[in-house]
Amino acid sequence: MTLIATLSEFIGWLLPFECMQDRFMQQAMLGLVLLAPMAAAMGVQVVNFRMAFFADAISHSAFAGVAIGLLFSLDPQWTMPLFAILVGLAIMAAQRRSALSSDTIIGVSFSAVMAFGIAVVSRDSGMRRQIDQFVFGDILTIDDTGLLCLIALFAALLAFQAFSYNRLLYVGLNPVLAKAHCVHVAVYQYLYVGLLSLVVIFAVWIVGVLLVTALLVVPAAAARCMARTAGGMFWWAIIVSVSSAIIGLLISAQPWADTATGATVILVAFGWFTVSAAVSAVRA
Amino acid sequence: MHLHTSCSPVNPDPQSLPAAVEFRDVTVVRGGVHILDGVTATVPRGGCTAIVGPNGAGKSTLLLTLLGELPYSGRIHLDVAEGRPRVGYVPQRLEFDRGLPMTVEEFMSMGSQRIPLWFGCRKKSRDRAQQLLASVRADGLAQRQLGALSGGEVQRVLLALALQQDPELLILDEPAAGVDFQGELLFCELLEGLRRNRGFTQLMVSHDLSTVTHHASHVICLNRCVAAEGSPQDVLTPQNLAAVFGVHMGLVDRSSMPDQAASCSATCCDHDQDH
Repeated sequence: MTLIATLSEFIGWLLPFECMQDRFMQQAMLGLVLLAPMAAAMGVQVVNFRMAFFADAISHSAFAGVAIGLLFSLDPQWTMPLFAILVGLAIMAAQRRSALSSDTIIGVSFSAVMAFGIAVVSRDSGMRRQIDQFVFGDILTIDDTGLLCLIALFAALLAFQAFSYNRLLYVGLNPVLAKAHCVHVAVYQYLYVGLLSLVVIFAVWIVGVLLVTALLVVPAAAARCMARTAGGMFWWAIIVSVSSAIIGLLISAQPWADTATGATVILVAFGWFTVSAAVSAVRA
Repeated sequence: MHLHTSCSPVNPDPQSLPAAVEFRDVTVVRGGVHILDGVTATVPRGGCTAIVGPNGAGKSTLLLTLLGELPYSGRIHLDVAEGRPRVGYVPQRLEFDRGLPMTVEEFMSMGSQRIPLWFGCRKKSRDRAQQLLASVRADGLAQRQLGALSGGEVQRVLLALALQQDPELLILDEPAAGVDFQGELLFCELLEGLRRNRGFTQLMVSHDLSTVTHHASHVICLNRCVAAEGSPQDVLTPQNLAAVFGVHMGLVDRSSMPDQAASCSATCCDHDQDH
């Protein structure tokens, strides 16, 4: 995989730290700096649409995705994202049609997919490692195929965001108004949820299910405090997210720290949020 | 929505023009309750039609069925010049997130500009926003934060956003809700002028009968079904109002309504109304 090798070496050159000279660290950094801006961009809309709980439900469906892989002897790397997209689209369809409130619908789906995953996986005593990885994530296990998929998703997401950012703001402000004014609300909503499911699955892989929502929401929340315009909010979310990813990974690799990467990244992002909240308070 | 394309010849007499909207036997049932029951009504082209009725009469529901937001039985016929109907909608109170950082200029550009707002508002959308905001007397608001606007300012910015659609039909849900009396007069006056210049059909829901008497040219009195329909002086009679609202509404002074059009001495009614 020459593309990945070249990119990894470039990262090693760009960040001339001792810990960054190992190939697996370079790949981990590459994975993080691809995932972080995607999570930040999608996070802006997660916050606008109030979909944090929705994202949480999708992330928990990853476990059921693994279970389905086990049941049918399929590679969980493929059953996980496919099942997540299915769950995301199904919840969106139910929300658009049902008279039940959206958090009730999400709560029901959330517990159903989680229970299914636990039921299947609990039959197999050799699954402890799978559970650990699901809960805490493991950036160091990301391989060349995974990175190539991340690059492809990055390109698709960039195109989608560039095309839809303005209209997604419209839908987020008020979907009825957007639809009356000729915005294809349903198309944007389904496309958004499909892509969000994929980003969430990668995030589960890298930072673990417990921290996925944080990766989506914290940079966007900090950006809301810092920015004064909707365009600026996007850039602030990216800056907060990417800088937290780089600093977080470097800290976690230091011998004196030796912490879990995902958690360290989120802590740095939370530091950003505290600063931004203070800035916002001073302004007001 | 049932769309129909027609090319009617220019006719100075509004009565002979095809209606802008026709509701035929529209029924909406939710949870076993008839929210609308066989509503048949007409919105004449070019005028200002007001839907009045008590709370729970289904006024907003009727607008939502027209916007295609609710399933219904019956027929809604929108008569438009060509292609898709151009509809502008001003919701009752925009329930939006006031914590969202967004300028009014960005708000005006989010539906019209294709280049993402990451790169700011383009000159073209900035100019268009400025022009539309000026037409609703909100020139100074372009750089303001959306979340920091007062109720009346939000209402005017929403009107500017609706006008961006270059609407044939402008739908307003309780345009005066949350606006003080002075603001309401200004808003009505503004709408009168815009309607005269742009020639759209105005359809609004209002609970404020004095607004209706002063500004509407056609009234649909709704209480799950149509209780009365026609010109304000024919519809807003004490008998009709007592039947629909359940109590005598002493708000409407019929002597203030001369022959054909409703009118009053308020500043917003200085000029003749559309016929």
